[in-house]
Amino acid sequence: MIDPEPATLPAPTPAPAPHLHGLDFAKMTSRSFYLQALFAPERQQGPGFAFAILPALRRLYADAGERAKALARHMGFFGTHPVLSGYVLGVAARLEERRAQGAPIDDAAIENAKRSLASPLAALGDPLFWVTLRPLAGLAGILGLALFPLADRVGPDLRVLVCPLLALLTYNAVALSYRIFGVRRGYEQADDPGKLLHSLRLAPLRGFFERVSALLFGSLMVLTLWPMTESADPAGLGLAHTASVLAPFALGWIVSALALRRWPGRCIEIALTAALVALVVSTRV
Amino acid sequence: MLPELLRIALLGGILATDRAAGWNLMLGQPLVGACLAGALLNPGPAWELWALRIPLGVGVLLQLLLTDPALPAAQRPRDTATAGVIGASVAILSLERLHPFLPLTTGGIVWVLLGTIAGLLASVVGGWMEASMRARNEVSARRAEELALEGRLVSFEALYWSGVGRLFVRGATWSAAATVAGVAAAAVLLPYVARFLTGPRSGLVFAVLLGVAYGSGFHTHVRVFRRGFRWAALGALAAFLVMLRVHGGGE
Repeated sequence: MIDPEPATLPAPTPAPAPHLHGLDFAKMTSRSFYLQALFAPERQQGPGFAFAILPALRRLYADAGERAKALARHMGFFGTHPVLSGYVLGVAARLEERRAQGAPIDDAAIENAKRSLASPLAALGDPLFWVTLRPLAGLAGILGLALFPLADRVGPDLRVLVCPLLALLTYNAVALSYRIFGVRRGYEQADDPGKLLHSLRLAPLRGFFERVSALLFGSLMVLTLWPMTESADPAGLGLAHTASVLAPFALGWIVSALALRRWPGRCIEIALTAALVALVVSTRV
Repeated sequence: MLPELLRIALLGGILATDRAAGWNLMLGQPLVGACLAGALLNPGPAWELWALRIPLGVGVLLQLLLTDPALPAAQRPRDTATAGVIGASVAILSLERLHPFLPLTTGGIVWVLLGTIAGLLASVVGGWMEASMRARNEVSARRAEELALEGRLVSFEALYWSGVGRLFVRGATWSAAATVAGVAAAAVLLPYVARFLTGPRSGLVFAVLLGVAYGSGFHTHVRVFRRGFRWAALGALAAFLVMLRVHGGGE
């Protein structure tokens, strides 16, 4: 007997809206450490950006075709500061998530959002990290040589470990905090990139590190010159003798400072020329 | 020498990856590279007095000389990541093998000079190789885009990881090859120039090079910044007062 009324089928449950998990943010963060592996002038960090955002795309797009298209649209030109790339990754991942959930977001909107954040981050990040913080960290390592006296004059010099450790800690204490929390913060503040950019306080931080850098270099000069002056005249021959011993150092310093003003970026050539001239002069004197 | 070269290659590869792949953890700085190379190559108790101080000296000089305050796009291509490793390795390996050719009065200064010069030259030559590396990356990037469009994500990732591996291999082979070349050049040249290298002469060259390094540091840390002079003077005054206090307390 046929049932006069067909059985009502249960309504199909809609697929849950895809959204990103904490693990995806962790994967994107870890992959952002390889952002520049295929760095080339034409696309710069484009392939690296696609590689870093891939865990998010895998989560958001179940369809292979959609996933491939999403990956391809992140392969174009992209350039920002590598330490700050996580913020752009977070913003792009948020937009991809909304698109996957059905929001009307087109390719151009995602590209515009990426560029509007990547360019200012590069403009603020390069002077902060490359011009200021990295040299400052190197200087902190060198200062370790002056600040930590030898524990044992005939034993192994443990400053060989202390100095690089100081340099690494100085730089990474700042840089790693931006790297580790970048993706998550970019994702959370994707709606207001201007506010996000302002909240990073990159410009004031740069000013602070510039002052610290100059301050530490002034200290290093004194910490270097003091023992040099003390050891220059062990027999107590007078000021003229001390000045003559310190003269090569001072001459090298002045020549280098003047030459770098005229030919910036030519430090290697200046150093090698100065060493050669000093050797020739020393054989004549 | 093979175990030492393997250690140098491993270290050079890691530091090159740090600089070029995007880790940017500061491992690729000359001071860090030179000190790590010194710790890895420590030739043992017989050389304890110099074995760790020489890499430290090489690292400090290279750090000051190779730090360029210009933005990366405006910098000349220099391989600063492996320069410290190569400089320190050339100095340590030459010290072990060539010390009988030099007068004792030169102490460790000659080896610091040798390592610094080797590091400076290595950074220039290593920089030339960056251009070919980037051309290779461009080819890989095009292939990566093709793979992405085809939806072959696993192949895309494999290609990307091979790019990371290439950076490591390039850094490793360059560090080992440049160290061998540096030690060989030192073995050929040092016996000939040994008669010029007295203690006072090497001291003079070292003092000039140290002065140039500090001049470079002044350019990097003081001159390029607004009000840099004022802050440097303040730092110098503070250090002077501390030294005066410490010195007075000691007496």
